[in-house]
Amino acid sequence: MESGGVGGLVGRCIEAASANKETVEKWRRQRRTLERLPAQLADALLRRLIRRRLLYPSLLEVFQQSVEEIDLKGESYVDAEWMAYLGAFRYLHSLNLADCRAINNSALWLVTGMTSLKELDLSRCSKITDAGLKHVLSIKNLEKLCISETRLTADGVMLLSSLSNLRLLDIGGIPVTDKALSSLQVLTRLEHLDLWGSKISNNGAAVLEMFPRLSFLNLAWTSVTRLPNLPSLTCLNMSRCTIHSISDGNCKATASLSKLFLPGTTIDDVDEAFRNVEVNNMTFLDMSGSSICNFHFLVKMKGLEHLDLSSSTMSDTLIEQVANVGINLRYLNLSNTKLTTQGVCILAGNVMNLESLSLSHTGICDTALTYIGMMPSLRMIDLSATNIKGFAYWGRDDLEKTFSLCMLQNLSRLESLNLEETKVRDEAIHPLGFLRGLNCLYLKSDFLSDVSLHALASLSNLKYLGFRGAVLTNSGLLLYMPPVTLRVLDLRGCWLLTEDIVSSFCRSHPHIEVRHESIQMIHTIENVCAGSSPFHRTIQAPKLKSKEGKLSHAPSGFPEFAFVDERTKYTREELLELQLLPLSSFLPYGPDVLPEVLRKE
Amino acid sequence: MKKEDTVKLISAEGFEFVIDKKAAMVSHTIRNMLTSPGGFAETQLGEVTFPEISTPILEKVCQYFYWSLQYASGMETEFHIEPEITLELMMAANYLHT
Repeated sequence: MESGGVGGLVGRCIEAASANKETVEKWRRQRRTLERLPAQLADALLRRLIRRRLLYPSLLEVFQQSVEEIDLKGESYVDAEWMAYLGAFRYLHSLNLADCRAINNSALWLVTGMTSLKELDLSRCSKITDAGLKHVLSIKNLEKLCISETRLTADGVMLLSSLSNLRLLDIGGIPVTDKALSSLQVLTRLEHLDLWGSKISNNGAAVLEMFPRLSFLNLAWTSVTRLPNLPSLTCLNMSRCTIHSISDGNCKATASLSKLFLPGTTIDDVDEAFRNVEVNNMTFLDMSGSSICNFHFLVKMKGLEHLDLSSSTMSDTLIEQVANVGINLRYLNLSNTKLTTQGVCILAGNVMNLESLSLSHTGICDTALTYIGMMPSLRMIDLSATNIKGFAYWGRDDLEKTFSLCMLQNLSRLESLNLEETKVRDEAIHPLGFLRGLNCLYLKSDFLSDVSLHALASLSNLKYLGFRGAVLTNSGLLLYMPPVTLRVLDLRGCWLLTEDIVSSFCRSHPHIEVRHESIQMIHTIENVCAGSSPFHRTIQAPKLKSKEGKLSHAPSGFPEFAFVDERTKYTREELLELQLLPLSSFLPYGPDVLPEVLRKE
Repeated sequence: MKKEDTVKLISAEGFEFVIDKKAAMVSHTIRNMLTSPGGFAETQLGEVTFPEISTPILEKVCQYFYWSLQYASGMETEFHIEPEITLELMMAANYLHT
């Protein structure tokens, strides 16, 4: 059952019960009923109360006979008083206190004796030390314990060996030493072990053989270079490590990994690293940012569904090895590589099941769109920051000009398309109007204007439209008829739009969330936020970039409040006037010599 | 109204609610009782007794059945639930899979 199911009488009751403080008061005295409440209903009601911020410590008491699961993740107000009530929950099975910053050692004392508790999450409760962990050790039935990024030490970790029922242990971000890890050998039921950022070395990693059921292992950001042979392992994360071997030793029983996260790893000899690994079952491989130049190991990974090679050395000559295992690929990320159109040509025809393809920041050009059009299952395409212009010349004499985005019309399942920071101009946009299935479209370019926005009005299923940094005028926005499905319209960086026009557009389309600097500016001023805001950095200022930079160095001229975007401060006429001014001549002299338009308050 | 088209729902206190079969079918539990093969007493008599559900709650449940039919046919009205009965009604709805 879904907790807040819109339909269904149960969902409506939960909704009605948690409408406001008064409704809570109406039922909180019905103790007999509350005690009889089935656990899944009590859990759902409590979840809703937490989300609505209607829960307070003494209200917890009415749930102590019924609730089995509580998730208070990130609620920084949860303190010892809350814990006093939570400690009395008789049937509590799972307690999530991750990111509850107010929880300290003495608050944790109140969990002692919660014999029904099986799962406890204390991740990032930064006040918890070894002394606090001793209280947790009294819960002998504990099966899942997350204590990553607390102030535990290696000595504290050694104490965990008494929790012999543990199946999942997350001790990431804690300086676990080899010695501490070897004291955990007795936890033979462990299936999931998170040790990222620890001080484990190869000696410590050898101990991992002692966990016969271990299926998930995270050793990211450690100095481990060699792993012993772990036959039960299915998921391994060794990002940011230097890898010599994933399955050391000469025995034939090999690891049967299915998911491998290796972003940013350094691998000297790939064949050696994968030598004993059974890769037939591999479905997920993330090697982004890796420096390897040899992708022969891919050959056997016929079952691969997710492959991330972004920021790697992948190039047109190496792509063939990806194409060979492309038949089951669903997700392929080749962004930030040296790939060009030729590489895409090799891929086409070999990746019939590909649903998501990212080629952003690569050297592909318009011809690549022809090949992308031959990948029939595509749902998401990211072509941002490429050389795509939207048209190409065909024939020997370059006489016939065709609009290359038409090639995407064959992709009947296409839902999301990213063309940000490409060279597509107004004239080339119109083929996009025929991509009827499109849900999300991302455009960001100073070549686009009103014409493009109007051409996109025919996309009747659009939910998200990014039209950033474009030369969109006030009248252009007012004449735009958005499709009824549209929920988000991102106009950041459309510097010609004025505040009143944007807000009147918002008023006439209340169901659309419009993003624009002028809206952010209103919020900023409301919050009396002085000085430069973080938005400032993200704003693209293609036209007035240099001038804007200089203007923002003269804050003393505008004593009332800081503008998020200097350009929104002036009207269009003033801006045009500004363009003609010799800026360098007046800036060094401070506010007194500012031209009249700039002294406007 | 023919007897075959109606169902009798009986509350804990013995109150009888005679409602359309179609409305009662909104509840998966009642639907299974009425349609399951094997000749349950409920199937034959068209009567279901709920010893756990009190009269006012069962009345509200019946109201919901009819409201739900209307809602499905496009009538967009609110179904008001008094805060005092939310817990009891929630449990009844849970039992009836509504």
